[in-house]
Amino acid sequence: MNFWTLAGLPGIVFLGAVFGIPLVLIVIRSFTDPGPENYLEIFTNERYLGSILRTVGMSLTVTLVCLVLAYPYAYLMARSSTFVKLLLGAMLLTSYWTSSLVRTFAWGAILNNTGIINQFLQDLGVIDQPLPLIRNMFAVFVGMTHVLLPYAVLAIYATLRTIDVDLERAALGMGARPVKAFWRITFPLSLPGVAAGAILVFVIGLGFYLTPMYLGGPGQELVSEMVAREVQDFLRPGRAAALSVVLLVFVGLILVIATRFVGLGAIVGNAAIDGRKNAAK
Amino acid sequence: MRPSKFTIAFGILLAIFLVAPTIIVTVTSFSAGEIIQFPLKEASLRWYEEILTDRGWLQAFGNSLLVGLFAALLAAVFGVSIAFMAARGTAVPRRLIVNAGIGPILIPVVVIAIGIYMVFSRLGLGGDVPSLAIAHSVIGIPFVFINSLAAFAALEENVEDAALACGASRAVTLFRIVLPQIAPSVLVGSLLAFGSSWDEVIVAQFLNTPGFRTIPVVIWGQMREGIQPSTAAVGTLLTLISMVVFIVIALVNLNRGRRRQGVA
Repeated sequence: MNFWTLAGLPGIVFLGAVFGIPLVLIVIRSFTDPGPENYLEIFTNERYLGSILRTVGMSLTVTLVCLVLAYPYAYLMARSSTFVKLLLGAMLLTSYWTSSLVRTFAWGAILNNTGIINQFLQDLGVIDQPLPLIRNMFAVFVGMTHVLLPYAVLAIYATLRTIDVDLERAALGMGARPVKAFWRITFPLSLPGVAAGAILVFVIGLGFYLTPMYLGGPGQELVSEMVAREVQDFLRPGRAAALSVVLLVFVGLILVIATRFVGLGAIVGNAAIDGRKNAAK
Repeated sequence: MRPSKFTIAFGILLAIFLVAPTIIVTVTSFSAGEIIQFPLKEASLRWYEEILTDRGWLQAFGNSLLVGLFAALLAAVFGVSIAFMAARGTAVPRRLIVNAGIGPILIPVVVIAIGIYMVFSRLGLGGDVPSLAIAHSVIGIPFVFINSLAAFAALEENVEDAALACGASRAVTLFRIVLPQIAPSVLVGSLLAFGSSWDEVIVAQFLNTPGFRTIPVVIWGQMREGIQPSTAAVGTLLTLISMVVFIVIALVNLNRGRRRQGVA
């Protein structure tokens, strides 16, 4: 055992105790409290099955929309004048650094029956009755997209900024039209960033809790909310554990498949840790 | 290639969508009335006065601050430790260590929350600063790990070899040569760890007791009772502290970049 392995022991022991043991306990509990029938219940009861499908569907939708919105934004940040770049960057980071709790609260205040949008439309006389903008999947979709969009932008921007502008210039110089230069040169080169952003947004989206709980309607719980409620409201930690294992296995599978194509470092926003040692030199 | 006018217009609209919630919460926190209004009809500082004179809020504020600082400290120590093993350890495959170090940010927080809750309730832990700080440090470790691993892997090993050859012990080399060089990255990671603890609700909610609450837990409780301007005021203060943390990170990064350029 070399020195650096020894230096790493305290960290690994701590992480093992506070992160590893709880995970192992969850797995054990899912099979023993009261028994493996926890899983049978999850895969036969429509309530659980529905929430799993809803979670995957919502997360996929949010991921796709985030990518479509984030790409042009990241492109602007990478290719605009310094002023536009700073402005867009500042606004993005303001949003990113506003707690997701506060942002969820804000969407509640915006979408409520007596909220900002409904008040505005009623004052204008466009509508008589408030539009049902909250307590439904639409509100969850808006809230989740808003919270996750910055992750997608930052991942795509991280790749776009490394693409040499001269490549596009060369394509233009050789007679390609701007649109063609973009789709044949820049876009393919930026795909790793798009993939990293997609995986990050999708995986974080699968675990969303506050936003769906606050903005979603009754009977439309996502998996994380079900897990918490099984523990807190129904006092069935075994069932919560089994649901957690299902969620973990799903997230794990996605990451295993994804990391065959994109480095884990690129996904979490620091590609330097993917490289072999001193690869940067 | 310069973006088209259409793309720029789209970007500005999206930027407005991104900042609108932050602006709305900030503006409504200055409301004089009992309900959320936007735009404001009358401004006042009454909600800030209410918060800053309320013992419960101040206590929650102190709890959040202490938990965040303590969690960041734990994350710094253990995150760096794991980074050492990942970068140069030989006993365990690098990939495994990297997965462990990054793992906590890719796993749904609710799973970490119920796992820690199950362990802690068995041990009689919870409801105080140390237990929540320990739990939050798990979420913070990846930030320190990711940042310090990148910095550590980029170090010139020759400098350490020189120290060793001059008779410095391994420990002295670690504390006098290695740590000072990666300190800015560790600081950035720790600040991110603080930020992740500062607005964390789910784990905190599982470990709270009526006598021990953090700001996000109180906000979350209020939100579920109805929308009030006082929540907006606390939310604005919460965001303000996050922004300060972010600005410090940006300054450290800027300084780090400048120094690196100076060397090259």
